[in-house]
Amino acid sequence: METSTSADLILRNGRIYTVDRARPWAAAVAIRNGSFVAVGDDAAVEACRGPSTQVVDLKGRMAMPGIVDIHTHMLMGGQAEMFDLNFSSALNVDQICAAVRGWAEKAAPGAWVVGAQWGTDKLPALNTAAALVKLDAASFGHPVLLRDDSYHNRWCNSEALRRCGVTKDTPNPAKGEIGLDPESGELTGMMIEAAAGIAERALGESGHYTPEMDQAAIARSIDTLNSYGVTAFLEAASMKPIMAALKGLDDRGVLTAWAGCSMPAVEPAFMFGAAGDELFVLREQFRGRHVKPDFVKFFLDGVPGFKTAAFHEPYTPDPIRGCCFRGATMMTVPDLIRWLGKCEKLGLSVKIHCAGDAAVTQALDAVEVVRGFNGPTNLTHQIAHASYITPDDVKRFGELDVIADLSPIIWYPTFFLEGHKVAMGKERAERFWPNRDLLEAGALMSGGSDWPVIPNPDPWTGIEGMVTRRNPSGDFGDAVLWPEQALDLESTLEIYTINGARALRLGDVTGSIEVGKSADMIVLDRNLFEMPAHKIADTKVLTTYFEGRPVHERG
Amino acid sequence: MSAADGDLLRPVTVLTGFLGSGKTTTLARLLKAPEFAGTVAIINEFGEIGLDHLLIETCEERFALLDNGCICCTVRDDLVETLLRLVARADAGDLPSFRRVVIETTGLADPAPILHALMAEPRLTDAYSIDGVLTTVDAVNGLATLNAYKEAVKQAAIADRLLVTKADLAAADELERLFLRLSVLNPTATVIRSREGDAPAAALIGVGLEARRGGSTEIVDWFERAARATELPRFRAEGLDTVRDTTCGDPRCANPRHGLRHGEDISTFSIIIDHPVEWGAFRRWLEYLAMLKGEDLLRFKGLIHIAERPDTPIVVHGVQHVFHPPRELAAWPSADRRTRLVFITRGISRSLIENTLSKFAAIDVARIHRPAA
Repeated sequence: METSTSADLILRNGRIYTVDRARPWAAAVAIRNGSFVAVGDDAAVEACRGPSTQVVDLKGRMAMPGIVDIHTHMLMGGQAEMFDLNFSSALNVDQICAAVRGWAEKAAPGAWVVGAQWGTDKLPALNTAAALVKLDAASFGHPVLLRDDSYHNRWCNSEALRRCGVTKDTPNPAKGEIGLDPESGELTGMMIEAAAGIAERALGESGHYTPEMDQAAIARSIDTLNSYGVTAFLEAASMKPIMAALKGLDDRGVLTAWAGCSMPAVEPAFMFGAAGDELFVLREQFRGRHVKPDFVKFFLDGVPGFKTAAFHEPYTPDPIRGCCFRGATMMTVPDLIRWLGKCEKLGLSVKIHCAGDAAVTQALDAVEVVRGFNGPTNLTHQIAHASYITPDDVKRFGELDVIADLSPIIWYPTFFLEGHKVAMGKERAERFWPNRDLLEAGALMSGGSDWPVIPNPDPWTGIEGMVTRRNPSGDFGDAVLWPEQALDLESTLEIYTINGARALRLGDVTGSIEVGKSADMIVLDRNLFEMPAHKIADTKVLTTYFEGRPVHERG
Repeated sequence: MSAADGDLLRPVTVLTGFLGSGKTTTLARLLKAPEFAGTVAIINEFGEIGLDHLLIETCEERFALLDNGCICCTVRDDLVETLLRLVARADAGDLPSFRRVVIETTGLADPAPILHALMAEPRLTDAYSIDGVLTTVDAVNGLATLNAYKEAVKQAAIADRLLVTKADLAAADELERLFLRLSVLNPTATVIRSREGDAPAAALIGVGLEARRGGSTEIVDWFERAARATELPRFRAEGLDTVRDTTCGDPRCANPRHGLRHGEDISTFSIIIDHPVEWGAFRRWLEYLAMLKGEDLLRFKGLIHIAERPDTPIVVHGVQHVFHPPRELAAWPSADRRTRLVFITRGISRSLIENTLSKFAAIDVARIHRPAA
């Protein structure tokens, strides 16, 4: 064998789960120029060995394809990790204020204190004038902006509200609400949905994050993803600076994952700048070898915990919204159809944020119309957070070839779910994530983290939760969420690898270990198939290979 | 719209046609005809020099009143302003009162945006009505032009009336081939021959659907003629879809089955629905069609029997994504009360229309028919 055709790297003596249904297991792989050139037993790859081939003995460890995260916010995730105060969504008002106090004491004079993330179930406690007094006392005059675990809402202190120009007489923005104490009518600092944009805009204009910080944050985010075994992701709200940073990293040869970008059709409430057509026309300038600006993001509704998600049945009655409030969608079905039609003409796949079951129905209705008129297409669209879904709609995912972008880490018993129970009652809240039904309906499901809505993008907790329907942290004891909807490990691993690659339109490129595909592969500290399911979340990734190069090695 | 209001609307004829097809000659002759007395002609001052479409931005509006003409721009927004100013100036007495308008497009123009403005701009629909689209086709070069330029194909496909110019200069068999080709492209249009611009002016007025008044049997005649024409076997859409000669390199080719080969991909067909349709659902279907397929919907005309108002049919027509506001007729013009739809499209198939009508307009597929050939 000539050196020029020999492998650069051989990994042998492993338990390699390929996610290739034709050959699920292998012992060895050979890699050349970043792609798999042989997959099989040790003897099969031996033929690829040349004098300069590096050979790694996996010592019987499990390896598998790199993970695909189909829903992550790269800039916010890195920013939160590098520059902001991080705290648990379990904290109560006093604990949050204590965390803010600790951070504010050390902050530079006049600097913003930015933190995350408080639990949506804490809303009633935070949304009071009394809680704001406590937050102000902990702030030492710094403006404070605290994001919630949905990232749709902010709790600000009085100094931040002052800088935003918000008073108790400020009218609510469309699709948003400025919190007022129900008893005193005074500001509470709570900025819901579109109102959160007022606070984020003030933060943005303050120069709190510089372009250099943005680039560093995204580079850090990718390192973080690599450390959990992620080698491909779909950025879920790609504004211009995000795509620019990804393209910059790719041009420098340091982008160590496949990056899909979903460009918002409409400026989101929490990010600012060009959106829609203005952004779409720029997309080719951001395309790189690994950067794929081929996706669009629509926000169809909000989140259940704040009653901003759109449901068929009313939320639990409350004094503000009355008895029969169902939430509302931010786009009409004709709007959706028009946008989908336009995106299909441009060759763009769409990811539609739908948290409530009525939003899911509308999104499917729109896709059905577009399919009826446009006929079959190679473009597949995604419904993000596909979570509360009517039984009739579950079937339509398969029929209409719509991808369910699942966010497993926020669906097993969590503080989110506690918030949902308050908003719509326990029984409905627990009809959450009908994954088994979706699987049986033939839906293509893929897994996303929605980082930093969850504090870290560790997919292994999501994988465990999908199998066990329990919270792996132990915070919720033995609580099980709708256990009939549990999935088997094989299906779950497909959801996190090949299915995600297909959703990223990279199904021929990555997502499984097959000859010709990109050598995106991870080596684990345990064999997932030879241990109890409740240990999956403890999985550590020893080495992450991206295009055959190690991009993470556990020290 | 009441009949009285309708009488106040000034009809607009859109005169289009490829470079050198004889638009200007035709216009010059028409303006001398008594039927066109009191006409304002809006023409392109740069004439047919090929680059005229590039010069639109620098074109400056000038009124040069000859007998009854003026000069101005062809760009859509400017055209709206020009048409509005014409009315204002006539009302103010700055300009002699006028009865009708002819807009001559540039040779490379797509006439659709002009029709869109006339259909959808409320200030224009208050003052003008569309009289029709008149497209000139050169008898000698017409076939080669249609085979080479998609602009020419669209101009012909969108026409209400096709005027074949210089007919005296073409051989009889050549003329025959051109007529065949035009009838495939646009079977709903009447074809008229002229030589040296001698087409009778009367035949060029009132050519469009919009010009027809409620109660007239003409509208039904038009649908019947169009439906019959679209069902002639030589250009049934299915034939075009399945039989394609991919080797033909003849620039003068007129074989209707080579339509796709020559890049036009025009499908024309009629649909009859023999059961009342629910207006809300039908209207929603129209909206979807315009949103998703508007670009390829060159002309659409329909006479609709709606369940809610069975005695007063509704006339709808559209050019690409823009639809004229639906017009309700006072009564059915004939005993036939079936819904009739005529389509001139670029690549939209009959089956797509039938499937989506059944799915999104709540129309039973068994009620959808094609007219008898």
